[in-house]
Formats: sequence, C-alpha cells, structure tokens
Amino acid sequence: MDKNKFVFVEQTGEDSETVRPSLTYWQDAWRRLKKNKLSMIGIFTVILIILFGVLGPYFTNYSYSDQVNKYKNLAPRLELYEINGEFFHVSNDYNVFLVSEDGTLIDRLELNPLNRDMLKKVYKYTYGDEFVILDFSYNLLPTKMGYDYDKTLEYKGEVVTQPVATKWNKTFPFGTDGLGRDLLTRVMYGARISLLVAFIATLVNLFIGVIYGSISGFEGGRLDNIMMRIVDIINSVPLTLYVILLMVWFRGGGLMNIIIALSSVYWVSMARLVRGQMLSLKEQEFVLAARVMGVSKRKIIFKHLIPNAMGPIIVSMAMMIPSAVFTESFLSFIGLGVSAPQASWGTLANNALPGLTTYPYQLFFPALSIAFTMLAFNFIGDGLRDALDPRLRKG
Amino acid sequence: MLCFWLLYLFFIERRDILKSFYIKRIVSMLVTIILITTLTFTMMHSIPGGPFTRERPVPDEIMRALNAKYNLDDPLIIQYLNYMKGLVTFDLGPSYSKIGTTVNDLIESGFPASAKIGLMATAIIVIIGIPLGVISALKQNKPIDYLVMFLATLGITVPSFVVATVIIYVFAGKLGWIPSFGIENKLGYIGPVIALAGYSLSFVTRLTRSSMLEVLRQDYIRTARANGIKEFSVIMKHAIRNALIPVVTYIGPMIAAILTGSFVIEKIFVIPGIGRHFVESVTNRDYTTIMGITVFYAVFYLIMVFFVDVAYTLIDPRIKFGEDK
Repeated sequence: MDKNKFVFVEQTGEDSETVRPSLTYWQDAWRRLKKNKLSMIGIFTVILIILFGVLGPYFTNYSYSDQVNKYKNLAPRLELYEINGEFFHVSNDYNVFLVSEDGTLIDRLELNPLNRDMLKKVYKYTYGDEFVILDFSYNLLPTKMGYDYDKTLEYKGEVVTQPVATKWNKTFPFGTDGLGRDLLTRVMYGARISLLVAFIATLVNLFIGVIYGSISGFEGGRLDNIMMRIVDIINSVPLTLYVILLMVWFRGGGLMNIIIALSSVYWVSMARLVRGQMLSLKEQEFVLAARVMGVSKRKIIFKHLIPNAMGPIIVSMAMMIPSAVFTESFLSFIGLGVSAPQASWGTLANNALPGLTTYPYQLFFPALSIAFTMLAFNFIGDGLRDALDPRLRKG
Repeated sequence: MLCFWLLYLFFIERRDILKSFYIKRIVSMLVTIILITTLTFTMMHSIPGGPFTRERPVPDEIMRALNAKYNLDDPLIIQYLNYMKGLVTFDLGPSYSKIGTTVNDLIESGFPASAKIGLMATAIIVIIGIPLGVISALKQNKPIDYLVMFLATLGITVPSFVVATVIIYVFAGKLGWIPSFGIENKLGYIGPVIALAGYSLSFVTRLTRSSMLEVLRQDYIRTARANGIKEFSVIMKHAIRNALIPVVTYIGPMIAAILTGSFVIEKIFVIPGIGRHFVESVTNRDYTTIMGITVFYAVFYLIMVFFVDVAYTLIDPRIKFGEDK
C-alpha cells in the first residue's frame, strides 16, 4: 500500500481533554440557579418590589398618612364626560370632579346640601356661577326603567349620557382610600412594612433555629431529647394560634410586637431541620479530625458544621420569607396588625373589605402585591432547592 | 419544678413505661394540653388591667362585685385550679364580653357550621386534589400539566382572604350566583368551602404530582410494566398507593391550615362558626373566650393528628413509631 495514502488527522481540539474550571459549591449553585429562568424572574421581581418599597415613596407627592379630604374613594380609572370642552368625572359615591383631558384631577365641585334632591335623585353641583346637574335616577326609579344609561350630566344646557373616554388617574395612579389617602404611596409603604417584618422575623428565626438545632443535634443524648421534646410540644398546636395569643398578650398591634410574635414561634421548624443535618454531619470524618486536633465544640459547630448545612438552611429560609409575609397579612386581616396610620398589605386589604363592591380597586393592588411577592419568593425557593441540593430535585 | 421533674421522669428517665406507642402518644397529648392551658391561662391573666377595665373607670363597688361574681378576687393559683377543674368537666367558664353566655355556648353554637365547612373543604381537597396531581404527573410537561401547576401555584400564592373576597365580588356581587354571606342557603357553602380549601388543595395537588413522579421512576414500576400488567393497574394498584404516603403526612398541617383559615373565611362570609367567635373575642379582648377556644382548638387538633398518625401506621406497615431514629 502506498504510504502516501496515510494522512495525519488534523488536530481538532475535540480530542484534547476538556478542562472545566473548578467551581466551589457556591459558584456551582449560582451557575445552576442562573439557568433556572423562573428563579431569575423571581429574584428580579423581589428586587423590583424592594426598590418599589424603599425608593418609591420618595417619588410620590403624598406621604402614607396624608389625607386629601376632597379626593376620597377615587378609582385608578376615571370615566370622563365632556361638556363644552370641560371634562368631568362622576365617582361611585356621586361626587363630581373637574378633570383635565389627560386624567389629572383639578378640583371637586361643591354640592350644596340644599341642591341635593334625594327623591328625584338629582344633584346640582356648583361650578363657578353655573350648575352641573347630575341625574342618576335612570334605572333606579320605577318610572325611569329600561334606559341604556344610568345617569346624565347637564352643564350650560347641554346634556351628556355617555362618557367620552376612560383615562388613568394621573394624580392618584392607584386611586385613593376612604380617607383620601394615596393608595400608591400606601401600597409602597405597605411593601416596606410587610417585607421588613418578613425579613427580620426570618433572620431571627434563622438565628434561634440554627443555634438551637445545632446544639441539640451536636450534643445528642439527654440534652437533645429534652430540647426536641420542647420543640415537639410547641409544634403540636397550630403555630398561628401562638402568634395570635402573643399578639393578644401584647395588647394589639405595633411593628415590633408582630416581629417578636412571629420570630418567637416559627423557629421550631428551622431547629428541626438543622438538628437533622447535624446528626448526619457530626458523624463524618472531618468532624472527627477537628475533634482530634482539639478544636472547641463551639468552633466545630460554627466553623465546620453550620457551613456544611448551609444549603438546606438557605432553602428553608427562602420558603420562610413568603410564609412570614402571609402570616403578617393574615394577622393584620383579623385586626392584629400594625396600628394606623401605618399600613401593611394585610391591613390595606382588610380596610378595603367593607367597600368591596363599590371600590374593588382598593383590594386589588395590595392583594396583587402579596400574590406577586409570594410567587417570586416561591420561585426563588424552588430554584435554590434545585441548585443547592440536587438530590432533592423533583420532576 | 415538680412539674418539670415529672416531665423529665416520664419522657427520659422512665421511658420504658411508655414503650407502647399509643400510651406514649396519649400521655404526651395530655401533657401538651396541660402545658397549653397553663400557658394560655398565664398569658391571659398577666395582661395588665382586668377584663373589665374600660376607658371610663368603672366605680370601685361595681368592679368588686364583678370580680366577686367571676371569682376574680381569688388568689391566682386557686383560679388556675378552678379553671383546670372546669376543663376536666368540659366547662370553659363564662364569656366576659357577651353577658349571659358561656364559652361552651359559643363553641356549641359555632361548631356545627365550622365543622360542616371544614369537612366539605377536606372532602374537596381529597377528591379533587389527589386526582389532579396524579393526572398532572402522568401528563408531565403537557399542556394539562402546565395548566394544573399554574393553578396550583396560584392557589398557594394568593392568600385565602383575597380568594374569598374575589369570590364574593365576582360570583356573589357581579354574577349573583351565590349569596354573599351566611349559610342559610345551600349555595352559601360554595364560597367559603372553595376559599378554605384553596391553599391546601393546591398544596396537595403539587405534593401528589411530585411524589407520583418520584414513584413512577422506581424500579418496581418498571418491573410491573415489564410483567405485562396493564398501565391502568400499574398506576392504580402500584403507583398511587405509594405516592399517597407523603400526602397522608400533610393531613396534620392541613387540619391546622383549615382551622386557622376558618378565622378569616368565617369573618368574610359572616358565618356563625367558632372561627368568627374567636376573631370577635380577639377584637373584644374577651379573655375567657380566647382562652377557651384556644384550648378547644389545641385539643381538637391534637386528637385529629393522633388519629392521622394511627391511620398512618395502619396504611404503611413499614412505618413504626416509638423507635428513636
């Protein structure tokens, strides 16, 4: 055979051993987390919500407790009636507002009690020297049934029955509540309170739970037995009951009390988790090595054991934050929340309840915020679980 | 001190007495009930100001008469012993803010409504949640799976009071299909039951799905299929039974979720149940009622969890309690 038929194979590089940069546990976890789209969306959303709460209130014109008496219960969407080039908005509680074309509120029209005809359901509002006449008797009085509009607005002799446009409320983007407070600012402020409570309570739970659990798991024996029995007893009753009892005991709301109540109860699950980790970790060789070298117990726990148990701890922490937001809003909802005029999302939702059928938007925004936050933290938690503890990965 | 020493003896030193799982469980339940009662009693009695403290000071004589009527002038330890004595005979004492009613009356009047709604919610969770989870696992990564998971995630993230208010707003207000409050009408149950079941339903669906996926990957399922068993019986006979074990574990926390969930649901839907009495007593600072209902809830919860545990050992023969891991 002709020797020349043999040709050297070109070196493509594929055959050479692929070298991957060595990654630490955390770099690897971060790499996996970055691949998880939902978690990244979650992280992004949480950052947005934090910015919304922390920086947002500086960009609105009102503080969370400012009451503008003439602008009560205004919706975020305004139906505008145009008469003679002027724009009017009629609110659900029959107040007439003068609005500019793009949806900025200019003023509320005065209604003299004498000009209020409850029987005929006709109100006459003063605008300058003229009257704006609102007739909302249609489809309400037995003699005026079967119209395709409910109210008419009359100004300078001209009558309109249908709004020309629906514009976003430029002055109060989320509307106002029953005391004329800007809901946007209050929702932003609510984000501060809700997240603050959740973060601090979670951190305290983490602190107590990790220390309690690691001492119990590391020491073992009789001490472990007693400590876990205490946890069992606390855990044998719905934890929300304790929180409610504590709140009653504190005689009501207040930011500090909620944080104390939440963080004095929810550490038990963290303690259990950490104890379980400790039990398996303390049998491993590196702990034996540390003991042989005479490292103190405290150092073994804090330098060797806890860092190794960090994965599950962080996952459980990420799951604890949304449940703290949840519990806080639950407490506020049954009247044990922060005290007025402070507001968390739960109190905002609670305040919106009585007027729900007329002013549904007052519930909509706080509820949406809670749902978004929960969703975001759940995504982060799921992603962290997959990234930090691949063995637990499901589906 | 004596109390602690007894506890110590019971659980650590002389644990051989407690060899039997059931005896151990019952004894620890009793101890827990005593501790909870003591805790709530101490807390409710250490709040500054008595139950009759009002903004306008009550005349001394009336105060004294009131205290005498409710035995509040006895030393605390006597009051405590009396309360415990009452507890043994299921007497939880009078309500301080609803004159003429006892806590027993409140619980008796509220229990039927609460129990009905709770039972219906549980039934819905089991009847709908488990099949949905199974279907979702069998059709993994298909549109129906995504739809179910989307709804389940939504159910976990939206608080029950929001679900309840949305139900009232849309189905009672806009559409007028169901009454917006009360349960005189049969249709009135729909709203509260859905709102109460929502969270646990979603949780059970997710749990069933993930545990089903786990089981379907097991070797014995492959063996069953290789043996030519019909897919239907593989799923029904082999997979579901094992997949349900983690779901049964969730029943304990689920009872807790339904109990505490009922506070909010009963308040929103104006249902005369125990949950609403509890919330009212919290707002009125009606200490005996708070105490009584808390103890009632704790006992109820403990008994339910005990039953679940017993059922659990029966369902899964591999699980044995009473052994330390």
